[in-house]
Amino acid sequence: MPDAIEKPAPLELSRYCVPFTPFEKPLGSSRVCLVSTAGVYARGDAPLVASGDNTFRVIPGGATSKDLAYADEHYPHDCVDADLNCVFPLDRLHELAAEKVIAGVAESHFSMGFTQQLAAIRSTTVPLLARAVDKVRPDAVVLTGG
Amino acid sequence: MLGIPTVGITVEPEETRQARPPRALAPRAREGASGLAFSVGRTMGRAGDAALQRKILKDALELLTSPPRPGEVQVVDYA
Repeated sequence: MPDAIEKPAPLELSRYCVPFTPFEKPLGSSRVCLVSTAGVYARGDAPLVASGDNTFRVIPGGATSKDLAYADEHYPHDCVDADLNCVFPLDRLHELAAEKVIAGVAESHFSMGFTQQLAAIRSTTVPLLARAVDKVRPDAVVLTGG
Repeated sequence: MLGIPTVGITVEPEETRQARPPRALAPRAREGASGLAFSVGRTMGRAGDAALQRKILKDALELLTSPPRPGEVQVVDYA
């Protein structure tokens, strides 16, 4: 009688896996999206709660820094008070598009704010944010913190 | 969901390395660069220094087309 076939062990991804997606377009043909945790939001939109917020805000692609504000209590503000590009370089992205370094900016950008609820953002916020970015389908995303 | 290529700009390279980023650039002030510091709240260096901010952003975007070095953070000096 043949030996019983052993069930293969469940596949476990290595903790050392890097979530890498190849970039296959010329940069000059690409639309770029900004995603940040700096607490940025469009003026007129409800601000993120500076003391802690598990949501994110959608920023219109065509916005400039004049159309934006930030809600934060956790990083020094001397630079961003003078120039929001210090943490969310959207004006610079528009300029790179005008110089044809990139084709343009994505139709939306995104910002989270401060939170210490890591389990909650991992299980809820990040999947929602990933789906929102996926709906936009930029060619690349630039990530910034605060 | 099909992946989307990303590149991070970080002022905390050690913490970022632990997250195993696909691509990341850590700007650093060149020795002797007066008035320039990269830290939380000033990821892009100096307020109003559009040329510097554009250079950092462009260098980060160029990591998308550079030979891949997943898991590494590229430290680049700026003046």
